[in-house]
Amino acid sequence: MEDGERVRMTAADGTEKTAAAEDKAYIHWLYQAVGFSSRGFLRSLASLGTPREIYQMTVSGVLSGKLSARFQKKAERMLEFSRGYDVLGAYGRMRERGIFLVAEGERQYPARLKRISDPPYVLYCAGQLPQEEKKAVALIGARDCTEYGRYMAGQFSAAFARAGVQVISGMARGIDGIGQTAALKEGGYSFGVLGCGVDICYPRENQELYEMLLASGGVCSEYPPGTGPRGILFPPRNRIISGLSDAVLVVEAREKSGTLITVDMALEQGREVYALPGRATDPLSGGCNRLIGQGAGLVSSPEEILGELLEEPQRNGGRRKKGAQGSLIFLEGVQGQLWEILDFNPLPVQELQRRYEERYGKAIAFPILYKELLELCTDGYAGQVGGGHFMRTMKT
Amino acid sequence: MLSTITSGAVYGVRSHLIQVEVDISQGLPCFQIVGLPGSEVREARERVKVALKNAGVKLPPMCINVNLSPADLPKNGTMFDLPVAVGIMIALGKLKQENVEGMLLLGELGLSGELKPVRGVLPIVREAAVQGVRRCILPAGNAWEGALIREMESIGVRNVKEAVALLAGETVSVVKPGESMDGNGAESVVCVTAGEVACAAASVEEKAKEEQLDFSQINGQQGLKRAAEVAAAGFHNLLIIGAPGSGKTMLARRIPSILPPLTREESLEVSTIYSICGRLQSVGSLRTTRPFLHPHHTITGRALAGGGRIPAPGVISLSHRGVLFLDELPEFKRETLDILRQPLEDKQVQIARSSGNYVYPADFMLVGAMNPCPCGFYPDRERCRCTPFEVRRYLNRVSGPILDRMDICVEAVPMAFADMTCSGEAEGSSQVRERVMAARKRQESRFAGSGLHFNADMGAGDVARYCALEEEELRYMERMFAALQLSARAYHRILKVARTIADLDNSDRIGTIHLAEAICYRQSDHKYWN
Repeated sequence: MEDGERVRMTAADGTEKTAAAEDKAYIHWLYQAVGFSSRGFLRSLASLGTPREIYQMTVSGVLSGKLSARFQKKAERMLEFSRGYDVLGAYGRMRERGIFLVAEGERQYPARLKRISDPPYVLYCAGQLPQEEKKAVALIGARDCTEYGRYMAGQFSAAFARAGVQVISGMARGIDGIGQTAALKEGGYSFGVLGCGVDICYPRENQELYEMLLASGGVCSEYPPGTGPRGILFPPRNRIISGLSDAVLVVEAREKSGTLITVDMALEQGREVYALPGRATDPLSGGCNRLIGQGAGLVSSPEEILGELLEEPQRNGGRRKKGAQGSLIFLEGVQGQLWEILDFNPLPVQELQRRYEERYGKAIAFPILYKELLELCTDGYAGQVGGGHFMRTMKT
Repeated sequence: MLSTITSGAVYGVRSHLIQVEVDISQGLPCFQIVGLPGSEVREARERVKVALKNAGVKLPPMCINVNLSPADLPKNGTMFDLPVAVGIMIALGKLKQENVEGMLLLGELGLSGELKPVRGVLPIVREAAVQGVRRCILPAGNAWEGALIREMESIGVRNVKEAVALLAGETVSVVKPGESMDGNGAESVVCVTAGEVACAAASVEEKAKEEQLDFSQINGQQGLKRAAEVAAAGFHNLLIIGAPGSGKTMLARRIPSILPPLTREESLEVSTIYSICGRLQSVGSLRTTRPFLHPHHTITGRALAGGGRIPAPGVISLSHRGVLFLDELPEFKRETLDILRQPLEDKQVQIARSSGNYVYPADFMLVGAMNPCPCGFYPDRERCRCTPFEVRRYLNRVSGPILDRMDICVEAVPMAFADMTCSGEAEGSSQVRERVMAARKRQESRFAGSGLHFNADMGAGDVARYCALEEEELRYMERMFAALQLSARAYHRILKVARTIADLDNSDRIGTIHLAEAICYRQSDHKYWN
């Protein structure tokens, strides 16, 4: 987006500046001074003039006179904030940190966002913005995902990356982060919409992903840099996730889940919603199954989405790729039997022992059970959680 | 005139014989005790004076000097009352010095002249026996304690009058320990000899308590029981992770019931510690069952390790040769738990004070119990909604080095209804104990002469020596080492536990099946969350 900016600004001298960059500096000032929560206030300010004019009014003290009574306190706060504030310098310092700003109405403002009902006035970004001509899918889901969700998020995301589809998500724990990581690792593009300033990596365990996004993807936020993660900031960012995408895929969600907020936004915005089905008993598939019941597209392979999205028949469109589904694994003897009774949810050893007896009609002693389970673990078919829980894993 | 009486004092678990020298000579009337007496010892003057008066002996107005030798050891406790009183009687010429030759005297005096039981009798009598003393006069309440040492003839007396009469060679009637307890006043002296205190016969109370706790009361939890059996067989530390109400505590309480009974040597060690604390009284004989201690999580470091101006044994020493159960491990203060690190390594605890270094044995089996996450239900996703961060923070409350010393990690799972209702078919402790004993026997013969007791005691060198793997198993472990990214420490731990599992299986060779089970008992370190 450097071409759109046309400037090189340094905070120290501030000599080389153009009108466009200066305008942005005032926009940056405005967003910090107003605070991100005051939409109505922003609207009434906009009627008074450009950000630069508002700045002049603020520092000269005439602003409060032009605002209605209910905004007086806010005008005071703006004046307070503007005292000693170096508009161009602050903007320059932000630019130096690789963060740029895209305001509504600018050429590089994402076209998809323009069409939603409540587009953010401004986007703070780092890295690269998604490309308009390429398709984008929002891959979202639960933070405390299961092994199944983990595997599916990775598979779908990698397939999207291979097909050149951009993966948009929230860089959260669980499905979000797993999907984005998989896309980037596959050499694709991914874009993270954050609920805090773009200079803050939240959650911290996604540091590696955050750096990868800065290097070969992008991140954005409607909140100024330095804004810490707060619970109330996250739901509004979901409209940007769905807004930036052509379709939304829900991998795993509980029946009551923040993920479903994104789905509601997507439906309002007219985006296609897909959900990955799960078993009726899995709490983490409850949300997905309900979405399907309500008419969301049921997908079992990435090709089904790609086919619709790219409007070209995929080579094995609608049919699963070999290996994508676990039932193609052939194991012999006790190991095979054990694999059958293992689940994606971790089960305690004695539960496995009980299931084995129930299903195959013969008892299995602990030493043998442990030995065979361990074999499955080392071969990558199963995993040990905690002390004595075992679960099925997706062999990739 | 001068007299010398043999008595003793306890320092840590070691004891020293103390010579109580009494001299009475002409001069200004006085009564003083020298030889670093503590305040209880200094107060012996008043007790002895009055007790003798009430026993009909009047102290003449002379200069009485008492020296406790060796004079450079600090003396504490009330056991010197009787030796001082008897020493005065000799110095006054009412008894002869040869009457007390080769005899150990201990006891606290009441003002009426009665003798009260004192602490630490067992270790002192033991030390005396080693040094060739063959007779001891003790308060009647301690007499059986002295009799626990086979070489010692233990005589219990009720008051100072009886003691003097006995020493003067007058005939006194003798009662057996069992009868003496019923308070029948006709007989006066309790004479207890070795063998009369049947070591094997634990007091009725203790036995009854032991019988109440049995493995057969635990329904289901097969995996947990199996792990407990392995832990008991090799005296391995055990960590139980599980949801609230899944039976962690219930199982831990029953672990002593499957541990092999104390050997006589071990029993003496344990009883010594309890004697020092004055807690052997309530038992009434040698401790034959392994101690089980479960301190509350608010316990202080001093109570745990032992402390005080004159350090008393802490909970870890009281659980010597037994089980120390720490329920709700993450609730313990970190500093408190960290105190366990050195005792877990050295099997003893050293407490340094200005008056000297005190060493208490602390060779215990550590059993820890904790929830898997703050809500307690992980990994059940139906009920647990803890985030990975919350779980990690919870687990991090337990210091890594402590978790590192847990050989076996096992999970207790919430019980199924079917398990709760089925009755009668669960295995009893005695059956499990039989298998444990067989495994114990194998360890005994393997470690004969090496100073090791259990597989858990093996150091790195011992592991190489006693847990050598055959070619096939070596290849198996090589594969596992790479696949599971084991650390060297984890590898050694696995070998030790596998050795125990093989012992339970009555096998000399450690097979892959034993190794596999041991690997599954390892802690998946910080990978509690996937």
